[in-house]
Amino acid sequence: MSSSDTVIRARNLGKAYQLYDNRSQWSKQVLLGAFHTYYRSFWALKDVSFEVKRGDSVALIGRNGCGKSTLLQVICGILRPTRGELWVKGRIAPVLALGSTFDLESTGRENVMIGGAVLGMRRPEVLAKFDSIVDFAGVGEFIEQPIKHYSTGMRARLAFALCAHLEADILIVDEALAVGDAAFQRKCMDWIEGFREHGTLLFVSHAKADVMRLCRRAIWIDDGRIREDGKPVDVVRSYARAMETEPDDMKRFMAV
Amino acid sequence: MTAVASSPELRPEPSPESHSGRDDEPLLHIIDGELVVTERRGALAGLLHWFGEPMRAAWHHRDLIMAILRRELNERFKGSMAGWVWAIVAPFLALVTYTLAFSGAVKLPNQVEAASQFDYALFIFGGLIAYSFFSEMAFRGPSLLHEYAHFIKQTMFPAEMLPIISTLRATVYALIGLVVMLAAQIVLTGTVYWTLVLLPIWLIPFLAFLIGMTWFLAALGAFTRDAAYLMMTLAPILMFATPVFWSIDGFSPNVRLLMYLNPLTGFIEIIRHLTVLGSLPRLPVVAWTLLLSLVSFYFGFWFFRRQRDRIADVI
Repeated sequence: MSSSDTVIRARNLGKAYQLYDNRSQWSKQVLLGAFHTYYRSFWALKDVSFEVKRGDSVALIGRNGCGKSTLLQVICGILRPTRGELWVKGRIAPVLALGSTFDLESTGRENVMIGGAVLGMRRPEVLAKFDSIVDFAGVGEFIEQPIKHYSTGMRARLAFALCAHLEADILIVDEALAVGDAAFQRKCMDWIEGFREHGTLLFVSHAKADVMRLCRRAIWIDDGRIREDGKPVDVVRSYARAMETEPDDMKRFMAV
Repeated sequence: MTAVASSPELRPEPSPESHSGRDDEPLLHIIDGELVVTERRGALAGLLHWFGEPMRAAWHHRDLIMAILRRELNERFKGSMAGWVWAIVAPFLALVTYTLAFSGAVKLPNQVEAASQFDYALFIFGGLIAYSFFSEMAFRGPSLLHEYAHFIKQTMFPAEMLPIISTLRATVYALIGLVVMLAAQIVLTGTVYWTLVLLPIWLIPFLAFLIGMTWFLAALGAFTRDAAYLMMTLAPILMFATPVFWSIDGFSPNVRLLMYLNPLTGFIEIIRHLTVLGSLPRLPVVAWTLLLSLVSFYFGFWFFRRQRDRIADVI
């Protein structure tokens, strides 16, 4: 069906959010949806086709609201695409919005156990890696404290440490490392570099240097479509040029 | 916890080289918003497969269910100083209150001569355990997905497991209440009936009914807060339409049939038979209750699945 090296394949992928003007429209949609459509669609992704091979490292760039994050969420399986074909094979480690998925009232330990299970790890696996996770995060005795006592940076550390121990096939990083301090960012970058040797990387960042350092390919997404796909040097250059010449278009968040 | 950490892992960890061509890799394949099913099935096999789906999903996510359940119970029982004591004191006090209030009654509401002055209290208490179990789920259901929004929005969190988790959590409280009740029964009346061993068979359909209801309410509540207000309005009314403090045997047959439309009626009648009365419940009641729980379970599951993809969008 697909070449054995392909880990992600997207064909004409589109994702529409259903926007309702008010709550009663939603009730009507549930009851009478077969006869009439009561919502407007906002197409965050319009038509995206690409293929990622095992071992690739791909950067996704684009301005705010262009559909990068939606694309990542679709690939992770958090959101379901509305149309087109998506084919993803392998265990995914989603480094999205680091630490914001933690439950504030639970301790670090509880969050690691829950988070590990959400990511698809079995309990013995999490237990076996637990000390190593705490070590990597460097949160020490705070692991027994509720997450609400953690700083934003500590939350991100713990979340990244958990993802790093997943032994994933695909690593998806969404400009999340910005919250950590320089030392931790370097630690993460080094780890990601090591990961690239056997895994597949999808990387979203506005930091040009990181894109150049980590990725061998860059995809520029604009208005829910792929605008350019090629070597990071070229794509980043045309993207930077476009940012200077094209005005910030306020109409792009409109639903049809 | 550390003792378990040294145990050998269940799954051998693949070396980096074996990353290419692992067979057990999870696969996500969607075309036009529909999951692609690779296995072909006939109509009957497909139907059977669908009926097994909730159980398979729950088994697949068993570690997640246990991790969250463990956390929730920890929070409940470690967050307070007295911990488990509260969970036992509350049902105990309720039982004492009923005993004092109703100890004069010599006739049970179903026209059976009370064997002892405590039977009436136990009679009410059995119904109350089932009812408070139900109302906890009814109140919590609509806001359930909002409580866990942080998981649902950002991770591949299987939201359909949440109703199962919260129902299991409530089961623990209900079981504590049940144990208090049985202990009181032994101490006060000195009798327990053999029918008690059938209680687990009562519990399973009741859980199925509640999980189905919570699936439905949770999906509804994700979109509209009205679901929560509706349940807050309905639950107290339902308490009087439910035979918690009385029995339906005093009514004319037509009214009785009408009352069985309330699914709790059957469940409460059966638990009374098994615990306080020590007799087997009537077969039509059992069959009807079983049917209701199956309908609730699969309708709730179907409804939740149908709305699932919109849920991540609106939460």
